[in-house]
Amino acid sequence: MSKAKALKKSRKIGADEVVRASNWVASWRRFRRSGLAMFGLIYFIFIILVAVLAPWISPYPYDKVDYNVTLQLPTWQHWMGTDGLGRDLMTRLMWGARPMLMVGVLTGAVGMLIGVPLGILAGYLGGAFDWFVQRLVDLFSSLPNYLLVLFLVMVMSPTVMNLVLALSVTSWVGSCRLVRGLTLSAREYDFVEAARALGIPTRRILTKHVFPQAAPLLLWSFASSIPASVFAEAGLSYLGIGIRPPTPSWGQMMGGGGAYWLYYWHVALFPSLCIVVSVLAFQGLADGLRQAIDVNVNI
Amino acid sequence: MLRYTLNRLLGIMVMLILLSIVTFVLSRTVPGGPFGKAEVPMSKVQMDQFYEKYGLDKPILEQYLTWLSQAVRLDFGVPFTAPETTVTGLIMKLLPYSALVGFLACVFALTLGIILGMIAAANPNGWVDNSIVTYSIVAGSIPSFVLGFVVVYVFSAKLGWFPGGGWGGPEHLVLPVFAYGFPASAGVARWTRQCLVDIINSDFVRTAYAKGLQQSRVMSKHVLRNALIPMVTSFLPMFPGMMTGSIFIEQVFGLPGLGKQFVLASTNRDYPLVLGITIFWAVLISATYFITDILYGVIDPRVRISERAA
Repeated sequence: MSKAKALKKSRKIGADEVVRASNWVASWRRFRRSGLAMFGLIYFIFIILVAVLAPWISPYPYDKVDYNVTLQLPTWQHWMGTDGLGRDLMTRLMWGARPMLMVGVLTGAVGMLIGVPLGILAGYLGGAFDWFVQRLVDLFSSLPNYLLVLFLVMVMSPTVMNLVLALSVTSWVGSCRLVRGLTLSAREYDFVEAARALGIPTRRILTKHVFPQAAPLLLWSFASSIPASVFAEAGLSYLGIGIRPPTPSWGQMMGGGGAYWLYYWHVALFPSLCIVVSVLAFQGLADGLRQAIDVNVNI
Repeated sequence: MLRYTLNRLLGIMVMLILLSIVTFVLSRTVPGGPFGKAEVPMSKVQMDQFYEKYGLDKPILEQYLTWLSQAVRLDFGVPFTAPETTVTGLIMKLLPYSALVGFLACVFALTLGIILGMIAAANPNGWVDNSIVTYSIVAGSIPSFVLGFVVVYVFSAKLGWFPGGGWGGPEHLVLPVFAYGFPASAGVARWTRQCLVDIINSDFVRTAYAKGLQQSRVMSKHVLRNALIPMVTSFLPMFPGMMTGSIFIEQVFGLPGLGKQFVLASTNRDYPLVLGITIFWAVLISATYFITDILYGVIDPRVRISERAA
């Protein structure tokens, strides 16, 4: 090896950013290896595009009732057929991606907004505050989850935002527990102790030194919380207490298809495929992230 | 151990009281009370009479204390929508349906999942393992009510093998239990495989092989015994979890269970019933967690020893 090359290599390792960047590169390589993960990523981008562009790419208005074409099987005019009111099924499926994504992503996000600060503070400060947060976690993880969500949505009138709020009541627990555990070990790292010794304010230590330790894991934790929320949205809408008509949602389309689906299979088949494929894709995405960032913790 | 147990019991009590306060206050403060949606609009006088009859005109603290003092004697009041029964009576009447379906589905999921997980762990990284892992991801992505639709369509509407809904003989249970248990088996298989693989790869198993133990003995004495700990602690809470989660399956198959009643009660703003069912499930769930924690100490001697040392 020539001197220049060796120097270049040593500089590469020495430079902090480069090492961190190469971590991400290695992670991306591991991520790419899994077929399901790549499928999940591509699907994620695809479904976001569909949801955002729904008003422009959907062939019909989602609430256009046409009694001449009720319950048609797939035709050239209606690629996925029509429902009991003659509404185009494909259009409604495209619009249904919106509440699915909103609930799936926002629930995870709100959960993190609550769970991460609580977890970091509990892990770092310890003592009475930690005890208090721990009891909160205990409390919220032993709640009858679905019943509470159902009850809250009923009480607050069912809208997408209220659904997100109701699901967030318990969704913060996972990230809080995760971050608390990570912070407990990060607190003992030398560089954190050094930062403390240098008199750096606690807030700065937490945001600049401790939080980055947890960041990749949080990405995974976020991704893996999506399927559960998608499940919940579909299920509650199916029961008729999630997304309210006429706004379309996949679960609600299955529940609304109620009477017909034994004779007109397409009314139930396409929404259920959408639900299953979405959950599968998000699961794959989360799994890929888990492998990519090498998660070793048991949650 | 005694101190730990008492601590946990205290925690559960606090949780139950907090939960009941939240549910109670929320249900009393929302607009559109229980009699707001009556088919025949009621006059103010009638409304007041109803409110007086059920004590809804009193201050909320007084209402809560009255409720609490009755609840500790297992008297959860009378449902607004079914005044001829009591909440406790209704719960006891409907519980067997939910409990039976949830229990059977859980047993099915555990049997299938543990067997598959063990097969996968015994042949790591082969095609068997890979297909079981794939199965666990795919099956886990199917919501039970979606699978319910599929099995009713295929086995009931098309083939006519099983009834597609309602309650009757054991044949009525086949489809709901399958639709409910199958997706749940995915997680079980995954967790079983994970626990077993972790332990098979650990040092003390290698030592056991190295000192010449037979594989069957290593498996039963060293691997299974240790894998049992994380398995029991995550599988036991599945039982109440699946009993409460059966809301969806009860809806698909039209089963007369507690979940279905809860949905109805929420829609009708039947406060006593909603409150009663919520508290009932919460007690059940926390009791299971409690038992799990105690069992944890029984299965894993290390926990007991460290407790004693502490």
